[in-house]
Amino acid sequence: MLSVRLRIKPMSMLAAFIQVHYARFTTLAEAWLANGATTFGIWQKGQLLAGWPAGNKPDQPGLVMPICVGDQVIGDVRISGMPGSAARARLAADVELIAHLFRLEHEIECMASDLVVTQDQLVALYRLSHSMSQYLTIEETLTALVMESMRLIKARNGFAMFVPSIADPIVVQHPPAEIDEALLWRCFWQAHSAAPEVSLTTLDLSTTIADCPRDLLFIPIKTRDTVIAGLGMLRDPGRGFQTPDIKLARAIANQASAQIEKVLLYKETFDQAKIRAEMELARQVQQDLLPKQLPHVTGLDIFAASRPAFQVGGDFYDFICQTDRPFTFSIGDVSGKGFPAALLMTMTRMAIHSKAFFMPEPTPRVVLQQSNKDLYKDFTQVGVFATAFVGQYHPQHQMLHYANAGHSPVIYRPAAGAATMLMADSTAIGIFPVSSCEDQEVALRPGDLLIVATDGFSDARNPGDEMFGHKRLLDLVDTLAEQSAQDIADSLFTAVDRFKADCPQEDDQTLVVIKGVAT
Amino acid sequence: MDIVTRYSDRVAILELTGRFDKNTAPPIVTWLEQAAATTPAHILVNLAGVNFVDSTALAALVRGLKQCQQRGGELYLCGLQRQVYMIFEMTRLSKAFSIFVDEDHAIRALTN
Repeated sequence: MLSVRLRIKPMSMLAAFIQVHYARFTTLAEAWLANGATTFGIWQKGQLLAGWPAGNKPDQPGLVMPICVGDQVIGDVRISGMPGSAARARLAADVELIAHLFRLEHEIECMASDLVVTQDQLVALYRLSHSMSQYLTIEETLTALVMESMRLIKARNGFAMFVPSIADPIVVQHPPAEIDEALLWRCFWQAHSAAPEVSLTTLDLSTTIADCPRDLLFIPIKTRDTVIAGLGMLRDPGRGFQTPDIKLARAIANQASAQIEKVLLYKETFDQAKIRAEMELARQVQQDLLPKQLPHVTGLDIFAASRPAFQVGGDFYDFICQTDRPFTFSIGDVSGKGFPAALLMTMTRMAIHSKAFFMPEPTPRVVLQQSNKDLYKDFTQVGVFATAFVGQYHPQHQMLHYANAGHSPVIYRPAAGAATMLMADSTAIGIFPVSSCEDQEVALRPGDLLIVATDGFSDARNPGDEMFGHKRLLDLVDTLAEQSAQDIADSLFTAVDRFKADCPQEDDQTLVVIKGVAT
Repeated sequence: MDIVTRYSDRVAILELTGRFDKNTAPPIVTWLEQAAATTPAHILVNLAGVNFVDSTALAALVRGLKQCQQRGGELYLCGLQRQVYMIFEMTRLSKAFSIFVDEDHAIRALTN
């Protein structure tokens, strides 16, 4: 049980002080009596606390000297039978000595009291760490944190929040729903920005929803070098939070940080084991969805490859080959990485594939516009978009018709010219309800080269944090242009691997290389 | 990545510094969601300190933009560094966002 922090009142201490030092007071009194005083007494508020000789209560004291500790008169010493200025001076000196000793004694008492409080807080912190260690979810941990902190800091209200990297943020407050959540989040974001802790004086209330009803203290909780949680306490107006409260709250926050880290690690280990098996299955499905064979199209040398940064990725490429219809291909990149991107990648690929396969006149523009129309609502709901490029080869004119929804990089190199970027003319799928992309065309005669890659190439970084960039890609394509489609692709993968050196592959890398060849 | 949030003249300002990518995006997505929940939501994202954005970051901004617009508000961007602006140009996202040179111009446009 935590003891209550108690400052000892000097007034109530005087009787105890006399009792402890009774022998010394007796010596002092006897010295006065030996020198002619008839009585020596210590009084408080008109009551005799101790008097000498024993049982002798003077009616008319000759000298009265107040005992002052700070601004407070805690009692007085009264002597009878010794008038005169010499006796007054001597009594003043004695009383000053008594007051000094009393002050020292009082300070020792206060320090002892502080020590007891500190010890209690240490025990309470140990109990807090012990009790929190049994919780395996963040919500349980936050609830325990709020309850224990309110008890230790003696707060009227308490709250804590956590912003996970995935999933919804969690906020816990006690008593429930008493404080507007918007205010709680304002504290968090302000602390996230800069301040080591937020109090009413530092909280920017100019645009806060309502006046804060109580005195407030907020301590951000850092885990893995980032503020991902916070602890807030409120007290009734005027009570405020003093330095010991802030120190204790910080200690609790540090403890909570360690516990949150532990819960996260436990959860991650648990989730990883579960997900690993599912991811392997998903990877297999995704690989199976990519074209298993490269198409044979008269007049074209085609190669394509995809290398996800994680087990599954958000990039795709697809070939649509039908008798009596022009050869069509697509490549795309769904925003985000990993499993969510992979799910939406499958959707996007299927949307484009079905349009190109079943529509009566599937020009690249129509395919992308219709796919955007179909996917816009779902993409808006989930908060993603997908860049996509659709190309269609017309062998009779040796021309490639294409439409580009925000996709980059797309490199075109005519047989007799330098490599250039083909810029997108419309935004990615899922940005606007209606796509404004148009059909465009480039020649694919023998020696002409088109490379449609994903930003995993251009955004690759080396250990010096330098990006591979478009310029390097264009220069490289110029030097590789005479090679076959597969050799160009292999060289591009090798070049980007050499560039990034030991840095991990951060994004999926996919490319389709199409080169015009003589028939 | 450093995240600083401020309010100026009823505009919620998000000031970002560093790499804005899949690792740093989650708290920004949460903030944008909460800021966009006010009506009308006027949000300004100051990207002056951002030297790189990936597709997750772009998706977070697009999501914030759509949420604001659904509630009759706006999300503006300002202070884009050259390489970041290039990414907006390449993906044509420059057509989707209102982009300003600095905070003053953006706030003036948002509050008029």
